Amino acid sequence: MTSLTLAGIRKRFGKVDVIRGVDLRVADGEFVVFVGPSGCGKSTLLRMIAGLEDISEGELRIGDRIVNEVQPAKRGVAMVFQSYALYPHLTVRDNMGFGLKVRGVPPHERRQRVEAAAATLKLDALLQRFPRELSGGQRQRVAIGRAIVGEPDVFLFDEPLSNLDAELRVHMRSEIASLHKRLGNTMIYVTHDQIEAMTLADKIVVLRDGQVEQVGTPRQLYERPGNLFVAQFIGSPKMNILPIEAVAGKLPGQPKTASLVGVRPEDLELTEPGSGFVDARILISEYTGASSLLHVQLPSGQVFLVAHDGEAPPADTSVGLAVEPGRLHFFADSGRRAD
Amino acid sequence: MGGLTQKQLRIVNQVCWTLALAVAAIPFVFPFLWMISSGFKSASEIFGSPSLVPREWQWRNFVDVFTYQPFARQYFNSLYIALTVTALTLVISSLAGYALARLRFAGAGLISLFLVSALMVPEEVTMIPNFFLIKWAGLIDTHWPLIMLPVFGPQGIMATFLMRQYFLALPRELEEAGKMDGLSRFGVWWRIALPMSRPALAAVAIITFLNSWNLFLEPLIFISSLEKFTLPLALSNFTDPYGTPLWHLQLAATTLAVLPILIVYLIAQRQIIESFALSGVKG
Amino acid sequence: MPAKPTTGIVTQDASTPWLTLKMREAMEAWLFIGPTLAGFLIFFIGPLIAVVWYSMTEWNLLAQQATFVGLDNYDDALFRNPDFWLVVRNSVIFALGLVPFNMALALALAISLSRRFVGVVFFRTVFFAPVVTSAVAWAIVWKFLLQGEAGFVNQMLAHIGINGPNWLREPDWAMAAVIVTRVIKMVGLNMILYIAALQAIPRDYEAAARLEGASNWQIFRLVIWPLLGPTTLVIMVITTIGSFKVFDHIYLMTGGGPENGTLVLAFYIYKQGFEFFDVGYASALAMIMFVIVMVLTLVQLALRRRDT
Repeated sequence: MTSLTLAGIRKRFGKVDVIRGVDLRVADGEFVVFVGPSGCGKSTLLRMIAGLEDISEGELRIGDRIVNEVQPAKRGVAMVFQSYALYPHLTVRDNMGFGLKVRGVPPHERRQRVEAAAATLKLDALLQRFPRELSGGQRQRVAIGRAIVGEPDVFLFDEPLSNLDAELRVHMRSEIASLHKRLGNTMIYVTHDQIEAMTLADKIVVLRDGQVEQVGTPRQLYERPGNLFVAQFIGSPKMNILPIEAVAGKLPGQPKTASLVGVRPEDLELTEPGSGFVDARILISEYTGASSLLHVQLPSGQVFLVAHDGEAPPADTSVGLAVEPGRLHFFADSGRRAD
Repeated sequence: MGGLTQKQLRIVNQVCWTLALAVAAIPFVFPFLWMISSGFKSASEIFGSPSLVPREWQWRNFVDVFTYQPFARQYFNSLYIALTVTALTLVISSLAGYALARLRFAGAGLISLFLVSALMVPEEVTMIPNFFLIKWAGLIDTHWPLIMLPVFGPQGIMATFLMRQYFLALPRELEEAGKMDGLSRFGVWWRIALPMSRPALAAVAIITFLNSWNLFLEPLIFISSLEKFTLPLALSNFTDPYGTPLWHLQLAATTLAVLPILIVYLIAQRQIIESFALSGVKG
Repeated sequence: MPAKPTTGIVTQDASTPWLTLKMREAMEAWLFIGPTLAGFLIFFIGPLIAVVWYSMTEWNLLAQQATFVGLDNYDDALFRNPDFWLVVRNSVIFALGLVPFNMALALALAISLSRRFVGVVFFRTVFFAPVVTSAVAWAIVWKFLLQGEAGFVNQMLAHIGINGPNWLREPDWAMAAVIVTRVIKMVGLNMILYIAALQAIPRDYEAAARLEGASNWQIFRLVIWPLLGPTTLVIMVITTIGSFKVFDHIYLMTGGGPENGTLVLAFYIYKQGFEFFDVGYASALAMIMFVIVMVLTLVQLALRRRDT
């Protein structure tokens, strides 16, 4: 099927560089998620792949073709929009069949393909309705159905779940995952929600300020973040970061170049004062049901988060913080991972 | 002091307001009533009878109007010119408005600026050269200038900006979905942007139609043959050979010209008033 | 090798290498805006340049010849022809009478009609009706109502013992009559704009001010009026420009008379250009009108900017 290659892709709006040189390879059938804070350029990058924004510099290949100057509809891609973008004046059936009609697919085939897609998405009963008569989740499904009907090589999703409520979002997330399993197409998915990214992706691309920070599997990003930004962006609650001199004594596995050490809240354990790698005093403890989130203050004045299972000690208790040696992340001054 | 409750006070207040408004409304309504009633009066009764109901209903006025000058033809002229101007304006202004709202091209800002400034220039300023232009093209005493000048003049530009504003407020993703579905630019405009812009199109249509229907200066300058007159010109032409108005005919004709518009207005007043509010400009 | 055409989507190999997407978009834009732009150049920019040239020539219509005379026509208008200053004076009086009267009435009506009460739609419909009516019809009917002794208005006045003037034939009254009837014709438009602006003001502001003990007048003066600022500016600009453009109304009601007492600039240009065929002089007048309107617009915009 279809792979994608981005080489030195740049985007300028006037004098502002929004995408500043992106190189990326997406393998055939891969589910790739672009993730990053708002304004990082992830949507712009997706829209450039779709052909909705022109490419200022660089080369975009879909399959073996350079598609920089190919019109959107002729790139073999389909897009699911954040707002679903269903035509308000057309029924569900006509919405899904619109692209086929425009391309001159004969009516009987159109009908077949629309109904096949509707069946997979359980939209059969809704074909005669108008978008305004559908719930958010149904609209979402129609938008996906419209993309499927065109039998594209590559699916593009632009934050497709951000307009749904929490429960529906979890549900649609699993539907998209099973859709990918069934169709096996290459899919590119943009989100700012790292849980979505972690659960859906074969490969995550973390973007910041129009540049790729790191590319890797969810596990790689979580366990071996390549720099401070990724370390703090992936994982919730955020990774704790501490200047290395705030710790008395040498940490296990500490490389020479390291100046910062990071540890995830869920990797920290409470011990007796003096027995951990650093001591702390509990400030607040937030009970969340399954576990408690503790805000603790280090002697250096910094505040750490600790995810603690079981009963939490009361505020003002002095504790020690322990961690398995392999769970420490070291970073150089530049923010890069130091190993 | 044993006076009125809050609620009673409010009602009294409201009644006073309504009465005041009713008095203020007299000069707005009365001319229409007097126009209609006078259109039914004979030449002798028309002065000196301060009664809204004619002593005898002079239906003949409405026949004489058509024999005095080719009024039916003139009526038709106004109608077909206004419809043509409206259709052309809808197409041309929504195309240009779409380009200004959605397409990126060098010079867009400059073009907008030029067009906006043109809105502030009275038509009288360019009327003389336009007269010579039309004369040079051999189109004096034809309906062409009555069509071209409004379509491309301030009215057309205003329509362009009205459409532009409306397109800007439409969700962009719908048009992008159309593009992904394989529509050409023209297809996106025609099959997605326009169907979603019905209120703006209606506003442009209403205002453009009325403007053309009521146009006076241009016909006055460009048209000289009776059978090519439009309504406003025809109305001003019901005079005796010395230029004294034949009031009974003139008012009957005016009634015929105003009444259909007024009836449509009364039926669709909400839509029409909203259209003017949307455009925010005129007069 | 292009991607295999197994799917329905790649209907043709689409690359037109000589035409980038950006160029294509720009080309489409020019096609879309082309008719408007062409019309604009032909019927506005061209004539605007031409009128500058015309204004510096003396035309001989019989010989169809234009002689360059420099600023003679302007000199004529500004320093030699007393008519010109009379006309400017009339235009200014017309504007000064019409604009504040129109705006004050529009605002008063809008405030009365921006609340919901029985009959509000009726009143809005009534006050707006003259706007959709042709100016010619409106002028004809009012001219009829304002006839000397036999006119309806004077007959009504006679009933209450007032001897009404011959409105459109007496210099003092004619101007007032055209202004008032024009305001009645056009006030509905400004009223609608004011109503829209008033309804866009969140009710919370008024409620908050009332809780702090503000009176109706204080609420209007300190809350509503400032918030209406942008609308007031727009209305002021378009009403002022509109007042300088007025032609058909005066042409039909008074013909510029009596004794040129209602001869305003637009009408004067028409007369010079299309009745006396003094093209050079009329063009100079058109240029002067252009400058006046531009200056007025800019002054109003500048005043407003300083305010806020």
